Amino acid sequence: MSVLSPYRVLDLTTERGLLCGQMLADMGADVIKVEPPGGSPARSIGPFYRDAPHPDRSLYWWAYNRNKRAITLDLERDAGRDLLRRLVERADFLIESHNPGHMSQHNLGFADLAKINPALIYVSITPFGQDGPKANYADSDLIIMAAGGPLILAGDADRPPVRLCVPQAYLHASADAAVAALAAHHERVRSGLGQHVDVAAVQSVAMATQSNTLAAALGSIEPRRMSGGVKMGPIEIPLVWPASDGYVAMTFLFGSALGVFTARLMQFICEQGFCDEATRDKDWIAYGEQLFSGAEPLSEFDRIKQIVSRFTRSHTKAELLGLAVERGFLITPLTTIAEVVESPQFASRDYFQSVAHPELGESFQYPGPFAKFSATPIEYRRRAPTVGEHNSEIYRDELGLSEREIADLTRAGII
Amino acid sequence: MPNDLPLKDVKICDFMWVMAGPASTRILADYGATVVRIESPTRVDTARTLQPYYGNQFGPDSSGLFANCNAGKFGISLDLGNTAARGVVHDLVRWADVVTESFSPKAMRAWGFDYETLRKINPGVIMLSSCLMGQTGPLAKIAGFGNMAAAISGFTNLTGWPDRPPSGVFGAYTDYVAPRFTAMAILAALDYRRRTGAGQYIDQSQAECAIHFLGPAILDYTVNGRVEERVGNSDTDFAPHGVYPAAGDDNWVAIVCRDDDDWRRLCAAMEDDDLARNPHYASAAGRLAHRDAIDSSIAKWSRALDRGAIESRLQSHGVPAHQVQNSADAYADPQFKHRGHFVALDHPSLGKFTVEGPRAKLSRTPAAVRRMAPSLGQDNQYVLETILGYGETQITELVASRALG
Repeated sequence: MSVLSPYRVLDLTTERGLLCGQMLADMGADVIKVEPPGGSPARSIGPFYRDAPHPDRSLYWWAYNRNKRAITLDLERDAGRDLLRRLVERADFLIESHNPGHMSQHNLGFADLAKINPALIYVSITPFGQDGPKANYADSDLIIMAAGGPLILAGDADRPPVRLCVPQAYLHASADAAVAALAAHHERVRSGLGQHVDVAAVQSVAMATQSNTLAAALGSIEPRRMSGGVKMGPIEIPLVWPASDGYVAMTFLFGSALGVFTARLMQFICEQGFCDEATRDKDWIAYGEQLFSGAEPLSEFDRIKQIVSRFTRSHTKAELLGLAVERGFLITPLTTIAEVVESPQFASRDYFQSVAHPELGESFQYPGPFAKFSATPIEYRRRAPTVGEHNSEIYRDELGLSEREIADLTRAGII
Repeated sequence: MPNDLPLKDVKICDFMWVMAGPASTRILADYGATVVRIESPTRVDTARTLQPYYGNQFGPDSSGLFANCNAGKFGISLDLGNTAARGVVHDLVRWADVVTESFSPKAMRAWGFDYETLRKINPGVIMLSSCLMGQTGPLAKIAGFGNMAAAISGFTNLTGWPDRPPSGVFGAYTDYVAPRFTAMAILAALDYRRRTGAGQYIDQSQAECAIHFLGPAILDYTVNGRVEERVGNSDTDFAPHGVYPAAGDDNWVAIVCRDDDDWRRLCAAMEDDDLARNPHYASAAGRLAHRDAIDSSIAKWSRALDRGAIESRLQSHGVPAHQVQNSADAYADPQFKHRGHFVALDHPSLGKFTVEGPRAKLSRTPAAVRRMAPSLGQDNQYVLETILGYGETQITELVASRALG
């Protein structure tokens, strides 16, 4: 038995909310992806297997639909909606990510489906939430990042703010939605009742400001973007440092918690001959306050940063990581995607998992279980489904439709 | 209403500190869990030292980050190195459904609070350990923060401009990703225990969670052998896709055309017939090939205009657009207001203290932020007397032992 194996989830999400169902599926829930005939629009998102667009070969689709089954169903038609209602009778969760109002217009809103199954937990993932002045705004990942706060903080000072690598907004929202769904489930065990869970991606991504979204409300200065670091008022704080063969992330900060680490690093830098003892012996706990008060001139901090980067630049990424492990320095290398996949650390934990694609006669490495559960390990039971892959096992074997009925529905383009 | 909170019967003994861990138990506290947070009286929680600060003044209780990550919890100060603290920890573990910790691996074992020991005290306990790289492996010992896990899991190198060194994601990025997986794992394990009676141990690596947010890029390598690199604000499918200047200092608007319809609507909103008629720009492929020229045209148009006006104008035409918001913008944003995103709590000495509200709206049993984050040791008396049922003598002895700091 896996941790969520008793539960069935109907996943009606578009390209927006796929991770939510996958988190539940990874933990063993029976997640059925319900797609329009021909397949979900998410199947057209690249990259593709061997760069050839194909609905069953989108790597975006593969990445976020593992462990799910899939059926096709035309919800624009009455017969399709009737079939969905039959599935809802036996479902524990429904997840959707259509624009606000879309599901209600199809008589498939929370209020409609709660009549059929009062215990249903109905999860909606949208850009701005179900209502409010911007609820119907047109969106994309970049737009949500702009509205939610992370975008202004990322990038180089002399250029526009820059997107946070690959699309992230709906992943944050999907993950919040999965947590909320399980919290609602915990309550359902007591009350027997479902409810509507309304997640707004714009709120979810505010998480990625490190609470700096509160700066104005608290009367605090807020950080400004700076390449490989952050600017607090006039003080430029690097977080990315040069190595001889690339870059490392290093926490070179001050205060009662972090100053201790900086003191330890400066001790070593001094031993290695990069600075004198007076520099080593600065009060690294009080150093931040000294910079803010002006007691320590910024030119002196610039000199320190030059010393430290001379030290980091004299070592490779691997050497610096070795020092971090040995001596407790706060350093890790900036890795490429290839280096992530080839990392001995992840290999030693059997993190990347081989998933078979029988339709291609190949297996590929996937990011592994998000946690190691001692009693209920996460298992990768199946690759992401092909279009309508489980139509007959679900419509015939589980809903009890006859072959004839299925043939009729197929001919009519309902499934 | 508070009695109806979804997790009102869940009890968490929380050793987590800094950001990723406490942010996860904050979510559970919002949904109603009773979270007792154990804090060292000698080794200050890094989160208490981080910005933003209330009134821009550093102080033990002025960190907005600490307040945001720990609202709704109870706090007890315990010196875990003091043997007199051991009994209190054991009693909290007996009381708890869930024990959480986010120290570097081996710290809990050194104190005698590892899972094998704690399950003897409470056989059904669920214990979750969260750290940067997981409990095992050559890098298990790496101490540090989410900016470091973001670097080693690929985010930092992938963010920025192709012609420049990496800009990096802002701050401790994996600390924003991992907490949801943490909360999720705990809730699922609780359900499993309800059905079977069995607790368990969960080993969570924050880097391993976060890599799921790079899933397609990872597969592009493992399937196609392609190593994705920094692309600035470009998108593989959409153009234009960028951040454009608006009137004023450091004012920007993000604008995206997802398809040809968006492009036509953008040209109409800009009232630019030349753009609209340019045959090279009619298809996505054409716009991707000419994205620099298109970006210049848009920037020329947007530069003199008010960013809010651009947002309204483009959105009224159905084009994805939004001003790029800083904290003041977000605090004033009508949608954030409508969602109740900012919640003002009562701080005992500082007055109103704003934190972020719960992330999801539950229609029947909504989450709530019930109290300010505790100051150090604020709830010692409540936890010992009311939660653990200690008598006056017992508490006096504890105070004398200096285990409470």
